[in-house]
Amino acid sequence: MSAIPGNPRAERRARLATAMADEGIDILVVAGNPWRSDYLRFAADITPVEGHAFAFIGRDGSARVIVEHPAEAARLRSEQTELDVRWSLSAIEETAIAIRELGRRRIALAPLAAVPYRLAMGPLVASIAQATALLDRLMLRKSPSEIDAIRRAAVLADQGYAVFRDAARVGRPEYALVAEVEAFLRSRGCPENFQILGSGGREVRGMHPPSERRLAPGDLVTTELTPCVDGYYAQICRTLVLGEPSTAQERAFAVYNEALEAGIAAVRPGASAGDVARAQNEVFRDHGLGDYVTSEYTRVRGHGLGLYVDGRPAVLEDVDLNLEPDMTLVVHPNTYHPEVGYFVHGDSVRVVPDGCEVLTRTPRRLFSVPTA
Amino acid sequence: MRRGLISWSRDEVPTSVLDRRVARFQEKIQAAKLDAVLVYTSFARPSAVAWLTHFVPYWNEALLVVQPGGAPVLLAAFSKRVHDWIRSVSHLGEVRSAPDLGRAAVNFLEERLPKASSIGVLELGALPWSVAEPIVKSRYGPALVDATGLYAAIRQPADEVEIRLARRAVTIAVQAFEKIPTSATRASELLSALERSARLDGAEEVLPRVAPDLRADATLCRLEGDALLGERYAVELSIAYKATWVRFTRCIATQAVPPSWRSAADRFVETVERLNEANLSLEPGKNAAWTLETCRGSPPLSIVATGETPPPSALPGGSLACLSLQLALDDGPWLRGEPLILGSRGQPSRLLI
Repeated sequence: MSAIPGNPRAERRARLATAMADEGIDILVVAGNPWRSDYLRFAADITPVEGHAFAFIGRDGSARVIVEHPAEAARLRSEQTELDVRWSLSAIEETAIAIRELGRRRIALAPLAAVPYRLAMGPLVASIAQATALLDRLMLRKSPSEIDAIRRAAVLADQGYAVFRDAARVGRPEYALVAEVEAFLRSRGCPENFQILGSGGREVRGMHPPSERRLAPGDLVTTELTPCVDGYYAQICRTLVLGEPSTAQERAFAVYNEALEAGIAAVRPGASAGDVARAQNEVFRDHGLGDYVTSEYTRVRGHGLGLYVDGRPAVLEDVDLNLEPDMTLVVHPNTYHPEVGYFVHGDSVRVVPDGCEVLTRTPRRLFSVPTA
Repeated sequence: MRRGLISWSRDEVPTSVLDRRVARFQEKIQAAKLDAVLVYTSFARPSAVAWLTHFVPYWNEALLVVQPGGAPVLLAAFSKRVHDWIRSVSHLGEVRSAPDLGRAAVNFLEERLPKASSIGVLELGALPWSVAEPIVKSRYGPALVDATGLYAAIRQPADEVEIRLARRAVTIAVQAFEKIPTSATRASELLSALERSARLDGAEEVLPRVAPDLRADATLCRLEGDALLGERYAVELSIAYKATWVRFTRCIATQAVPPSWRSAADRFVETVERLNEANLSLEPGKNAAWTLETCRGSPPLSIVATGETPPPSALPGGSLACLSLQLALDDGPWLRGEPLILGSRGQPSRLLI
């Protein structure tokens, strides 16, 4: 997809410049913040830690940035010496002024999720949807260097899960497990991870940030672990048992494993995200568990992966976006099981011409951790 | 994304304290003759909703609706299954599922306030367009007013509960620094030790920035990958404990601590002592850069004053704030940052620990 392999910043900028030219955009103003940093990372290769940030991307490859904090400005200048970075306590207002000063050039504003009200109430409001769609399209299919980053994130996901498994011991609080995983990821130079978990039995309906609950014998311990490398996320979902699995837990695992395998088998170019969801859900229906694939018990059967942890497409039966080579997603039939409680099982995959490549390698097992 | 301990201890943050904060906000809402105020929350801007309700979104977004009376209602873009968890960690009236947050806000207003004429929004100018657009396009669009000042007016000074949480946060930071291996040669080693210690001590979030080699560059970096540590390096830890954020910065020398650092530390303390609500324009000496930050809106910390942008905005005595100072000493840069309680007029500020 790119003529500049190995340099993600240049690669993305070149793709963006081409797309801007195609759509007749001279300057793209991209907004972001620590919650929605994905579009900024794509367009300007910056990840805001605090406050608002705005990047002015020229079709000629030029970029300048306005942030809210002097420390952020210093950091970004240090990361990219060629970047023109300013800071202002009123970064939004400064951006509005800078847009006005651009005069009659063709300017667009994105993304919908991060453009603030103050800027959207200006003359560029009509450009937001189109410019957001442009970026969404570019971010869907990954370039070789993007795939490489996701592949490295997947390796960390596997290693991180091994650390999680080792940390899961009777009597430890949930947050201690995350502390061990975070310490490991930091030791590998990984600055960001999305992780939620759950522990207990039938009463557990989902995952959440770690609590003070202490692990007990017989618990199912679930986690969704999502490390980030060079801005790109990969995810693994697994479930373990503290002690020997019960027959019901083993039986449940077999269903989720069958569903995951069916979902992964459905990932291929031309299939829709809905097809991948349907393949997983049919397994549950076949086992008389159809009620548990509804929104009452679960959210999605997977989702896109990239610069955002929960990207497009959502893997749901009514999503008709067709998969293409080099899209990356996690397939996870995570949901509540009436006999054993919330159960998760999922792998990151890359769409390839004849199907998909599974990026995470942790064995698909119901792991058992000794209680002694 | 937020991934440390998120829990609510009623001993640490009693419901009566949260009720009192909401009541003070509601007094302002009534005085301003607003029918409701919408308060947005996300991973990036969690602090206002957390201060009022103890709710911190680990990801995703929500809108808190505060009316002149009654308990606040949370419109949450989280799946419905998460509502029990939300209720377990926060003090709220109703929690409603709101996958389309802006549309849900309009529906809620139509149901509760069909005749509303004035709807406040905290930090209206910053509200994400994905949330704002349906509201702007509804009949409530012309009724929107900025309520930032209303909230800021009650946010500081800090109450005893918040000060205790901040003290706990800075203690977590101090203990984490003590866990840095003296033999560390790479940033990844020290960051791993800091993360582990802080999160095992119950930190809700840890955001480290590192200047790995102070002799080469004093810029505090968010490291992706690794870096070799110089003989002198600096670490800034921004730590949240139960939604209360502090910034704590220290320089570390792998050899003997330079004498210049001792006198710099004295200057830091003297600077803090000179600081009060009537004097936010610090003069910590030549070649100094500084920021004074506090929480008075939805961002965890916002700048009150810096050495570069006079004049500072007002901040009352008793406010919880963080001072970060960088000095260009003859033998290289030196950084320090700590939280403090701002002194009243004529009174010195006090470091938190």
